[in-house]
Amino acid sequence: MTAMKKIEENLKKEAKRLLEGGEVSVVLAYGRGYDENHPVPFAARKAEDADSLVFNEYCTFNLARYLPKYPPKTKIAVAVKAADSRAVVQLIQEEKVRREDLVILGIPVTGMKDQKTGEVIDNKTTCNMANPVIHDILLGDEVHGFQGGSPYDVLAELEAMSEDARWDFWKKEFEKCIRCFACRKACPMCYCDPCFMDASRPRWADKSPTTDGHLMYHLTRFYHLAGRCIDCGECSRACPVDIPLYLFHKKLAKECEAMFNQAAGMKIEDKPAMVNYGNQDSDEMLK
Amino acid sequence: MDFEPRILGIACNWCTYTGADLAGTTRLKYPQNVRTVRVMCSSRINPSFIIRAFQLGADGVLVGGCHPGDCHYGTGNLYARRKLAVTKKILEFAGMEAKRFRVEWISASEGKKYAEVVEEFTHDMKALGPQTKFKIKKD
Amino acid sequence: MLKKIALEKFGHLVSAIMEKGPLYAPVKGGKAVDFQEIRNPADVTLDFYNTAMSPKFVFFPQSEDMIRYSLGKEATEAEPVSLNAKPSVILGVRPCDAKSFEIMDRHFLGAGVIDPYWNDKREKTTVIGYAFDPSTAADPADFYNTLGISASDTAGSDIFMIRTDKQLLFKGITEKGDRLLKDLAVLEQGSKTEEKMFDDMAKKSSELKTRFMEIKDDAIARKFVQVFDNKEFWEKATAACISCGACTFVCPTCYCFDISDETLFRDGVRKRFWDACMFTDFTLEASGHNPRPRIFQRYRQKVCHKYSYHVDKYGCISCVGCGRCTRSCPVNIDIYSIIESASKL
Repeated sequence: MTAMKKIEENLKKEAKRLLEGGEVSVVLAYGRGYDENHPVPFAARKAEDADSLVFNEYCTFNLARYLPKYPPKTKIAVAVKAADSRAVVQLIQEEKVRREDLVILGIPVTGMKDQKTGEVIDNKTTCNMANPVIHDILLGDEVHGFQGGSPYDVLAELEAMSEDARWDFWKKEFEKCIRCFACRKACPMCYCDPCFMDASRPRWADKSPTTDGHLMYHLTRFYHLAGRCIDCGECSRACPVDIPLYLFHKKLAKECEAMFNQAAGMKIEDKPAMVNYGNQDSDEMLK
Repeated sequence: MDFEPRILGIACNWCTYTGADLAGTTRLKYPQNVRTVRVMCSSRINPSFIIRAFQLGADGVLVGGCHPGDCHYGTGNLYARRKLAVTKKILEFAGMEAKRFRVEWISASEGKKYAEVVEEFTHDMKALGPQTKFKIKKD
Repeated sequence: MLKKIALEKFGHLVSAIMEKGPLYAPVKGGKAVDFQEIRNPADVTLDFYNTAMSPKFVFFPQSEDMIRYSLGKEATEAEPVSLNAKPSVILGVRPCDAKSFEIMDRHFLGAGVIDPYWNDKREKTTVIGYAFDPSTAADPADFYNTLGISASDTAGSDIFMIRTDKQLLFKGITEKGDRLLKDLAVLEQGSKTEEKMFDDMAKKSSELKTRFMEIKDDAIARKFVQVFDNKEFWEKATAACISCGACTFVCPTCYCFDISDETLFRDGVRKRFWDACMFTDFTLEASGHNPRPRIFQRYRQKVCHKYSYHVDKYGCISCVGCGRCTRSCPVNIDIYSIIESASKL
């Protein structure tokens, strides 16, 4: 049995057990979509629902996104891959979900594929870690010796460009934006209601898709995600016009890790970097 | 006609704004290009203000606050330092000229420093020329 | 009228059309192909399945200026933006999208008030449709057969284009189409052989099958009214939805828009721009009350509008089965599956 098939078997088994025993009231995992290469996020609520669960290389969704929707004290089991588990840790740090309400079903896996292109997803667009950073139950064998490469290698080209060349690059990318807000809604960290873009006082950006509005929206969102983005790549996969948002998020993740000595979503005891200050902070970061 | 940069200054009430006041009362000469907005603490600054300032045509943005450790509210500027550092990284990576955004810690007694910083920053903005990247273009 | 041109001369045809006015055609950019106003004839591609965004923006731009104004001390000067669309051509429109123009005409022209912005562009634009390639299987998300559209349907096109291994064949469908074909000297007259080739290829394309279920407009309209209150069904069907709005923006038959005055210092524009019923604050009222605060309510409204209310109001289903909503959905919500399940309830 392939590793992915084994994970699917274990997922169904654990989900059934947890639901039958009443340990959780919902299992957040994946179900079959209109075909095998297009699964959907699926919330199993009854033991029979567990039979509809699937897991394959196209199950890329970050299910942590759905966690803040549930009222506190709802017992939830959530299936998470590496980056997804970091999102769960970050949400716990930010007190949007309680550790004791969760049964974390960790999925150690490599070789996930992009649904649109069929290509393997790697460190160019995600954090590319193989093993979840937190789990209660592991649905597969831990992956050993996986060399995914640094998630920041892909930044080399942009970092080497001149200011003007970088501006031309981003200007061209942002112009494509259609303000559908799929990026915002797909992101597990964008749980603010209302979002700053929904406010009319102050009006940060007009509703119509103006270039300056795109800039205000995207740059502010990058700022709001600084130190919080766990590099799952969902925003970029959700984008209907293929803007490489992951590049900017990765850049800020890299800078925040260097400046504040802390990576997003790694330990639940961490305090989120942007609501904290450190004794080792220096004015060097302002240069 | 000589280019006169329009600079937005955001100064914290207790230190930098008072320092700027001191520069005035001691009759120090410095360029008139900075339009100053007073905030109670540098941590009040929302990074979106900086983006907005550039969009509305600012050629440079100069932020002043208390020295870390001397914040009137204790820790405000320590949070601000992180926020403004991230803001700077964002502007740089987006392709905005890095020199157009500057953060300085200027205390209430440093009137001379205020004048010097404004002089230097204005000179830098003159050299860079008008900011056109973020500025909203009316078509 | 049937005209033809050799495939290698396609660039000449594009240049010839561009001489007459703006041309909108598919362009490959990054990962996806999308319609764009052409600046360079070499940019046009005919090698694609379907575009990511629909071509509705040609007649209904995402953002459209309506009134320009200047706020003065005493008074405000305002000037309506004049309608002066140039005669344009849109080339490479798949049958489902060509049909969508006819559906949109019902809202913008056939509802008692003529939308001058839509009308101005619509009457001055010639639509060149493009048959689906019979050697490529239909995308699994497509279901235009269900809506009565075939892969070589000419409805909605002024000219219909079919590609063979060596040529492009153009058949005039409407008077407007014939006029453009006559004007394009670079095209050669098609003979009886080509006419037969066209019909054969059209027949071959029409044999391309998409997902299909038998639905009758009135019956499905009634069905959705019947299942409206089935909260369990709707909550389950839409549980994964993240309420982003991508589906609305890529859809060829979605037409909701918002109007806003956008001012910078003293000068401003009143403009209209696309809105989406999927957005959380679509129905948010000034009082703060929101009649559709939950995702399942908004999704239910979208499906019922397209498959029920629109039938009652405008006489047809407001969907062409192009599959874009399913393809662009970040969580793969499939409207076809929902309609299938609902019809079985």
